[in-house]
This record gives sequence, structure tokens and C-alpha cells, in this order.
Amino acid sequence: MSEREFVIPVGPQHPALKEPESFLFTVDGEVVVDVEPRIGYNHRGIEKAMESRNYIQNLYITERVCGICSNAHQTAYTGAVEEVGGIEIPERAKYIRVFMQELERIHSHLLWLGVAAHEIGFDTMFYYVWRDREVVMDLLEEVSGNRCNYAMATVGGVRRELPKNKYPKWHKMLDKLAERTNYYIKVASTEKTILERAVGVGYLGKEDMIRLSGCGPNARSSGVPCDIRKISPYLIYDEIPFEHVYVDNGDVLGQVLVRVLETLESVKICKWVLDNIPDGEIAVKFNPMQRLPEGEAVYLVEAQRGELIHYTISDGRNMPYRHKIRAPTLGNIPSLVKRLKGGYIADIPITLAGIDPCFSCTDRMAFYDEGKDKTWTWTEGELSKYRKGWYSR
Amino acid sequence: MKKVSVEEHTKVVEDLVKEFGEENVYNTKVPRAYRAFAHVNREKLLDVVKYLKEEHGFIHVTTISGVDMGENYEVVYHLRSEGFSFSLKVPVPKDDPKVPSIVDILNGAVLYEREVNDLLGVFPEGHPDPKRLILAYDWPEGVHPLRKEWDIQTIREKVDGKKWGKDVE
Amino acid sequence: MSILTWARTHSPWLIHFNAGACNACDIEVVAALTPRFDVERFGALLKGSPRHADVMVVSGSVPRKIRDRLKRIYEQMPEPKFVVAVGSCAISGGVFQDCYNVMEGVDKIIPVNAYIPGCPPKPEAILDGVVKLLMSAGY
Repeated sequence: MSEREFVIPVGPQHPALKEPESFLFTVDGEVVVDVEPRIGYNHRGIEKAMESRNYIQNLYITERVCGICSNAHQTAYTGAVEEVGGIEIPERAKYIRVFMQELERIHSHLLWLGVAAHEIGFDTMFYYVWRDREVVMDLLEEVSGNRCNYAMATVGGVRRELPKNKYPKWHKMLDKLAERTNYYIKVASTEKTILERAVGVGYLGKEDMIRLSGCGPNARSSGVPCDIRKISPYLIYDEIPFEHVYVDNGDVLGQVLVRVLETLESVKICKWVLDNIPDGEIAVKFNPMQRLPEGEAVYLVEAQRGELIHYTISDGRNMPYRHKIRAPTLGNIPSLVKRLKGGYIADIPITLAGIDPCFSCTDRMAFYDEGKDKTWTWTEGELSKYRKGWYSR
Repeated sequence: MKKVSVEEHTKVVEDLVKEFGEENVYNTKVPRAYRAFAHVNREKLLDVVKYLKEEHGFIHVTTISGVDMGENYEVVYHLRSEGFSFSLKVPVPKDDPKVPSIVDILNGAVLYEREVNDLLGVFPEGHPDPKRLILAYDWPEGVHPLRKEWDIQTIREKVDGKKWGKDVE
Repeated sequence: MSILTWARTHSPWLIHFNAGACNACDIEVVAALTPRFDVERFGALLKGSPRHADVMVVSGSVPRKIRDRLKRIYEQMPEPKFVVAVGSCAISGGVFQDCYNVMEGVDKIIPVNAYIPGCPPKPEAILDGVVKLLMSAGY
């Protein structure tokens, strides 16, 4: 095997999320033989910072771990802290938290659908989906005041009420979302251009997925039933009627189907919450100087991208002794590596985007060609052109 | 979806203690259904993980955390079987910061052990590729941010050669 | 106004760089492309390569590993070039002040011409900032 490595910065350029991340590919001609992930470009030292801030200040940091899963992180953080402190939140607060979480799931899956369409080359669908996504962004802004980073949850409950006079308007907006999502299901499963680029690409079977501890829609697209809302329910998910979505395809088409069907389930859950929410208080008093008893807690949440865990240890002060966060994408990288091996270079963008990486599309790709001894640098634009050319042969 | 009770999960923990003895699996806690904690001796870690995987279906590793407890380090393995999350805490002495790697039993742990090595400095023995994962390539050796002896200004001084921030010139 | 200046003011080509951000500012920058806000009717395009761009839009609290990349991308842009720092993290570190890996503000690495505060700023605010920058740059 010839040993010349060439690191070619594929410049930061992706119209949507560009979270910097680097992969070192070993290729043999057109086929990818090995992949090595290199992460850490986004390491801000959050866990260390959380040890010197009190529990209310930490709310603002956990929100900004990721701008798209921000409510999921807040749900997990407040859940863990409340478990350590033995704090029971009122029923109405649980319903409001579920409502925000499902709205955020809709927003994230629609965002992903547009990005995936762009990676396939189907820019028209990208623009259509992001236009329809504005409906859920308007809804989020009406409820919380911001399009991202809502700051709804707090230790002890939630911060803002859902005013009853707005429910009919919100029902109408949710119905519109359901109608558009049904249209996208039809497009994704029958449109020939999408099927050609998605079927069989990046295949990973069920046993491999279980062995590599994959999670979230990534694992559910290979037939593993691992939705935390169903197998280890938290908040009020054990009372809400909704489907556990998983398919057997194992390739990119499976990812598309799982996410779009989950969006429909989320719309159903939101409507159920608006119809069944009880009256009552929305929060229990908790002030920043309050100390929590000693103890520890683990809290698992089904975030948009998979299983999210917050583990907190308290030593009796008003600051955490240690708080550990593991974002779902870190758990999905081993299965991503397995998906890329054996595929073509031109399939790399869609396979990467397929797992919905939260430190998203690559900043750098290094190509290590075994046979040719050649080094070349590609920008993402050139990679997309290459991919389009490859598929139109 | 069937409801699982606390008793069922307590039985799993008691079975583990019976199999390995109180000197190897101790301080067990089952605070509610779906959650359990236990301390495990470092020498028996691989056997415990294998036993849990084969007998009780703990085939998924959620994450591995590293904690600096003051007198020693603790490496916490969070395993999951169908919603039941069991956290195994392994005490590691500060003068011998190593643990056996569980990558051969649970392949999904490969990146988590590298992260603990980077941030806490506990080396996974037997790991196929224990390279640096998160910290920058020019980060100095021996500076492990999660250790309690390093606070933020000390880290900045050590890595950048000077103090900086909003309170400092 | 010379024809070059007229051309540059009426079609600024943007490049977006995420220097360790949480992604919220990035999706707002991309949302500026979408049919509701539609930045392309003003002639602005989101380009891929720094060598084609006039304005660099930076978001994120710069962690250590990203510093060299940011500098390199800035140096690859041809003159005249402008840098816009989007979001509180790019201006001063935001919530992440006092974290060991974070540089507090993009202007400690490269010179910045405009600052757009917000967490995240709305797409209309981003467009407004870019337009104000072009107006005030003497064109």
C-alpha cells in the first residue's frame, strides 16, 4: 500500500450547518476503504465551565451546546437536576415541556430533509421544505419569543404559559404542517431521482448497528427499535398514543422515511397535548442559591438525533460537582464509519448528511489514495460537481 | 409497551452481586425503575461487562464518564438494556491511572475511552487506537482539563503562556 | 461611482464560516437564503470557496483547533474584503466566556468590520447588518 497522505482542506462550505469536522479517507480508486474521524473543532470546555456556575446559570450554557437540539438538552438537564434534588414538577409543566420538545423535533427533521435534498442535488425540494419549515418557526416564536434557544424549561417547571386563546390558531398551523409532510412522504418514496441516489447507499444491517451502539433515527432506519420515549419513558410519554417508527431499509432511504414519519407523529403528539393539557401551576419555586442534597442521577432523553444522556453528581452545594453530557452524534460515529466503507467517494456527502450529524458536514476531508500516489484538494463545490457528474454517467 | 417494575431491575442487580461477590460489586443502588448504580472492582471489570452482556442483554453502551473524586478517579460505564440504564463505577487510583479497555466486548465504546483519556488522563489498556480525540494537536501533554487541580486560569497560563480573560489585562 | 464599485455593492458574495458555533447562528444565515427572506433578490449569493467571496460571515466562539483555519480562510479571500461577526459568541465569547478552550471574540484573530448581536440574530437582522456594512464602506 503506498503511503502518501494528502490532507486537503475541503473548505468550510455547506449552505446549511457547517460544523467543522474532519475525516481521513483511505481510497482505492473510487471506493472508500477506510475512514478515520477527527473531531474536536467545536470543543469549548463546557463540562469544566459548568462546575463553576450555579444550577440556574448552567441552564443557559446547556441550551447552547447545540442550537438545534437546544430544548432536548434543557429537558435532560432539568430532569437530571430535579431527580437529584427530589423536586416534583407540576403536571401542566410536563405537558408544556413535551409540546416544546416535539415542536423542536419537527423543526429539526424538516431542516434535515432540506439539507439531505440539497446533498442529493435536489435544490428545489430544499427550498420548498425550508419554506414550509417557516410555519413551525413562526409557531415556536409565538410560544417562546425566539426561533432558536427558547429558554422555556427551568429547574422546577417551565417559564412561560401557553395562552388558551391561541390554541385554535396553533391547531391550524399544525394541520398545515401535517399536510405538507404527507406531500413530502409521497415525493420521497416515489420520485425516481431521489430513489436512485438513496436506495442502497450507505447500507448498514441490524446486527452491525447493535454491535456499534448506534442510536436515534440512524439506528431505527436499520430496524433497531430504540426510541427512548417508548422503551424508557420520561415526562408523560407513557400516556400519549403514538407509533414507534422504525424501518428495515438500512440505507439513506430508510433515514428519510424514519424522519418524515416521525415528523407526522410529532404533529399528532402536539395536537394531543393541546387537547388534553390540564390546568394548574407551571413551576415550583427554585432559586439560584438553593443547595441540592448529595447524590447523582442519570437522565436519558430522545433528542432529535438520538439518545442523549446527562449525568450529574451533586456534593451538597448550589453548583454541580460534575456534569457529563454525551451528544447523540458521538454515539453515531462508529456506525457512520462502517457505512462509508465500501462506498463510492461520490456518495460521501449524502451518507454523512444521512446520520444528521450535529457537528455537521465536514470541514476537511483528507484523501489517501493507495494506488495513485496523488494528492489533491477539493472544495465542497468541487466534490458536489464530482458527485453530480458521477451520477449522470 | 409493558410497564417494568423496580423489583425486576433490583433482581438483576442482586444477581450480579451473587455472581461476583460483595467484595467486587458493592454500593449498589436502585433509586427507581430503569436506573441502577454500582461500584465495581477494576480487576473484575471485563468479567462483569461480559456477564451483563451475555446474561442480561446489556449490549448497548451509552457513554463512559470520567470523574475526579478527590482521592481517586472514577470511570463510570453507562450500559443499557432495553431502557434499563445501569451505571458501573470503577475506582482508579491516582498514581496508576489505567483501566482495561472494553472495546472487544462492546465495540461502541471506542470513542468514549479516547475521550476519557484526553480529558481525565485515564489510559484504556488494550484499546486499538488510543490517540488524542478532542483536544488540539498542539495541546501540551499532561494537562488534563477535568482534573480538579487544573482550574481555568491555570490551564490558560499553561497552554498559552499567559493569563487572559475579562478580569485580566 | 465607478462600475466596479457599483458591481461590488449590488452583488456581495458571501462565504459563511462556522468557527465552533452551536449551529443556531448558522441556520439563521442559511435561512436568509430561503424563499421567505430571499437574500438572492439583492444579488447576494452564498458561495463555497473563499476565493470567490467579498464578505465573510463568521459565527462561533473560536476554540483552539479552529484558529489557524480561520486565519487561513481569511487570507485566501481577495481584497477588498469584509468580515462580519454574527452572534454574541463571535463578538465576545457569549455564554462561553471563561471557558478554557475559547477565544473571546473573533476580532482577536482577524479584523472585523461589522458586529451583529443576538443569540441567534434573526435573518432580517443579519441582512440588515450586511447592507449597513456595504453602505458605510464608502460606496
